[in-house]
Amino acid sequence: MNKNSGLVNAPTGCGKTFSVFLGAVIRFINDHPQNYQSKKNNGLQLLWITPLKALAKDIGRAMEEVIFEMDMKWRVGIRNGDTAVNERQKQKRSMPEILIITPESLHLLLAQKDYPLIFQNLKIIAADEWHELLGSKRGVQVELAVSRIVHLLKTRKDNVSIWGISATIGNLEQAKEVLLSPLNREGVIIKAKINKKIVVHSIYPDEIEKYPWAGHLGLKLIEKVLPIIENSRTTLIFINTRGMSERWYQSLLVADPGLAGAIALHHGSIEQALRLWVEDALHDGKLKAVICTASLDLGVDFRPVETVVQVGSPKGVARFLQRAGRSGHQPGSVSNIYFLPTHSLELMEAAALKTAMAENIIESKEPRLLCFDVLIQYLSTLAISDGFIPEIIFEEIRSTYCYKDITPAEWKEMLHFITEGGKALKEYDDFKKVEIIDGLYKINNRRIAMRHRMHIGTIVSDASMKVKFLSGGYIGVIEEWFIARLSPGDVFTLSGRNLEFVMVKDMTAMVRKSNAKKSIIPSWQGGRMPLSANLGMMLRRKLDEAGDDNASKKAEEIKVLAPLLDLQKELSHLPKQHQLLVEHIETKDGFHLFVYPFEGRLVHEAMAAILAYRISKIRPITFSFAMNDYGFELLSDQPIPVDDTNVYELFSPENLFADIQRSVNSTEMARRKFRDISVIGGLIFQGMPGERIKARHLQNSASLLFNVFSEYDPKNLLLRQAYAEVMEQQMEEERLRNMLERIQAGEVIIRFPTRLTPFCFPIKADSMRETLSSEKLEDRIRKMQQQLEDL
Amino acid sequence: MVNIRLSLRPVNDFIKHTIHNNSFLLSASRCIFWEEEKALILSDLHFGKTGHFRKSGIAVPQTIFKEDMQRLTAQVQYFKPGYLIIVGDLFHSHANKEMELFLKWRKDFKQLPIQLVMGNHDILEKDWYNKAEINCCEKQLQKGNFIFSHDITDCEDAKDCYVFSGHIHPSVTLFGVARQSLRFPCFYFTKSYAVLPAFGRFTGMHSIEPGKKDAVYALIENKVMRVQG
Repeated sequence: MNKNSGLVNAPTGCGKTFSVFLGAVIRFINDHPQNYQSKKNNGLQLLWITPLKALAKDIGRAMEEVIFEMDMKWRVGIRNGDTAVNERQKQKRSMPEILIITPESLHLLLAQKDYPLIFQNLKIIAADEWHELLGSKRGVQVELAVSRIVHLLKTRKDNVSIWGISATIGNLEQAKEVLLSPLNREGVIIKAKINKKIVVHSIYPDEIEKYPWAGHLGLKLIEKVLPIIENSRTTLIFINTRGMSERWYQSLLVADPGLAGAIALHHGSIEQALRLWVEDALHDGKLKAVICTASLDLGVDFRPVETVVQVGSPKGVARFLQRAGRSGHQPGSVSNIYFLPTHSLELMEAAALKTAMAENIIESKEPRLLCFDVLIQYLSTLAISDGFIPEIIFEEIRSTYCYKDITPAEWKEMLHFITEGGKALKEYDDFKKVEIIDGLYKINNRRIAMRHRMHIGTIVSDASMKVKFLSGGYIGVIEEWFIARLSPGDVFTLSGRNLEFVMVKDMTAMVRKSNAKKSIIPSWQGGRMPLSANLGMMLRRKLDEAGDDNASKKAEEIKVLAPLLDLQKELSHLPKQHQLLVEHIETKDGFHLFVYPFEGRLVHEAMAAILAYRISKIRPITFSFAMNDYGFELLSDQPIPVDDTNVYELFSPENLFADIQRSVNSTEMARRKFRDISVIGGLIFQGMPGERIKARHLQNSASLLFNVFSEYDPKNLLLRQAYAEVMEQQMEEERLRNMLERIQAGEVIIRFPTRLTPFCFPIKADSMRETLSSEKLEDRIRKMQQQLEDL
Repeated sequence: MVNIRLSLRPVNDFIKHTIHNNSFLLSASRCIFWEEEKALILSDLHFGKTGHFRKSGIAVPQTIFKEDMQRLTAQVQYFKPGYLIIVGDLFHSHANKEMELFLKWRKDFKQLPIQLVMGNHDILEKDWYNKAEINCCEKQLQKGNFIFSHDITDCEDAKDCYVFSGHIHPSVTLFGVARQSLRFPCFYFTKSYAVLPAFGRFTGMHSIEPGKKDAVYALIENKVMRVQG
């Protein structure tokens, strides 16, 4: 690898892990040709950053095997939240040559005194599963740590080499750029020449007309999955959400009781020991099938599975490819993946996926920019260990991709925030955090340092509660709000088991086994990814082909869907690629307006609110919304004034930003984003053992902080970050804008179907109801009160 | 950016509520003026809370505390009470620099007696309260057939007396159609006791579930509004 840097790209299971690891070993051998086998205690040579703790052990073991074979004295250490104290002490005294570490634990290393010594012999930094870390705040943590290490080693003859290991995404060049940014080097991209043959088989219902038009988890086709499991040595069944996976597990056992003991459940909320057991058992052939969610997406390279079943749309090509790649691991073999639609129209997505794969249209992972919360955490971390000098660190962070555009004013504000605490009543203030001594910024207060140390690496605010049997034994975790809704005696499912809720004790939900027939399936927030822009575009193309009687080769799925698509055409219209279909339908519920942009749920949610706002300027009118990945609905008790004369204006990108501010409840969304941001930025006290009164008196809610900042410090950087994140992620503002421009350049077709159409059905079923009121707050309250009195 | 700024001009909106033939003016500034006694009743100020957080390195803006003090001054100047009854949690925790601002205020209003019924957050040294000229009661205070106690669950047998309490920081959730809901701090009156809203604005809220016969007054922006009862 020649002291170079870059990105190694290959699908899962092609030994890309080994390529970089061996590179480090080879470099060592080249540097010490005579005594590479006897040399020991060489200090850290290779820093291996991985996002998942679970993978560390496997990777470590594999590396140790190689070292053993080569008869070298290198040691491999693992460093993450699970590492025991005495192991950490051992590592401190003498660092192993290879350290496998998570981004959080890497920051913890930076919090140790004299941390530069750790990296003095470091030759290579490897960022494993970089496509996963990119675009997340943990990825930003990696960027920051890399910037520090690179600058520490600036004076050395050869600076450190950086290698990213990534699955295929749409923006590999940019991914490399983000990782290598502080080195200021081009670097190379090494692509595996392996072309995996992936064959996608769709599972079809016997009668397409009778198959539900709306989501039902796909359970109606469960009979068709049984022979697939039967005929395959090992099968992975991917389900999009944890709640759904629990349902599927139970349903499979009911459909074929013979599967008991041969199938297992695997998702992020199941207790770790159980998950590890499942991974091992599948590998050893003890299990026939595993029902899993994305937690298994981060594949351990070398675990062959024969078949993959994908239930419901994976919502993106990259995700689909990663899952398909889990089967047929032997190089040269064919990957077989089965697609099971959860409602009829989803078959179109299968067709779209196949074409997208063939044309290599894969989603990009957008890198994060200007995450001030992570920066505050990082500066505090540096302040605990050796302290930092602002001018030096400012240059370092500006060499990263995330903070390349930070302004001196913003930097000053960050420093002010951690030293002075922002806005203050000077004479009456005790603010203490980072102190300045001779130009060195440092945290001297031991209690504050300890508190920060416990908090380092926090990226997600933890609203989860452990679930435990009264008699002992952990089962997994459930989100707090779900438990809050339960009464003692309620039965819910987790990890495939029916559990009766008893009580909450010490922040743990205590349960006992239940034989109840019916149980509540828990749901988890944030389980649903929207349809990607690529897939949406491909879907519109497929519909175009479907409507084209002259099209030569129509996908199998489109042919099967013919009766449904013909019905849509008859009642309303089948849109061409450049057309936006709008349907006005009147039912006993009122006047419906359906719009089908095929741009994913989040964009539709924002667009519905914007459209409602724009319409209400024509005439004051109250709407109810619903949306899914294909389109959205506005429902009102009055006719909705959208027609040929105004439709292009209503879908114009002009004044978009202002209209978003006025229509979307961005305040509520920002409040929710602020929750995580305030935790990461250290504004929420997380609690320390042995600090009774003080701990109680520091409890606070992010919501209260949000209110206080909104009112008294509205320009605060963290608050602004919350609103920015709402724009970028919640509403996908750029995608929204692109959609509106596309609509302007195309044609809007308005139809007046006499009954509900196949397209609108899934929206009605898979919906969240929200009401927009164009009236003022007080009036709204009075109205609500009136309604209460009228009841 | 949508701003949820509430106007903080001294607010003089109030609603009269009668208990045992006594007039209580419920102020939108989160306190009650007892006309017959000429007493201003308030609870859960949590003064010093912002300072407490800042001392621990959490950068909460202090302006909210300053405005709480200004609001207190405005209410005293408006209602001109003979004395204050504070139903617990005047301060938040151990002493910090923000208390000095309170002491300064105390000097300006030296002639106004303050009766404090201790709450779970009132943990300062006895000496401190003496120096600040605050009269303290450990458990509860009785005036006529009214009792003042911080936590209603701690209140001993009240017999025919009506009890004023705090501690909960009550809020009421108003529901509309389609899962729309908004939460507001409130005054809560049952047949036998009342719960005051927290006077301090840097405080959390706890939703109450009023019974059909209870009276609830929500504090919405600058106004007090009767929600039920």
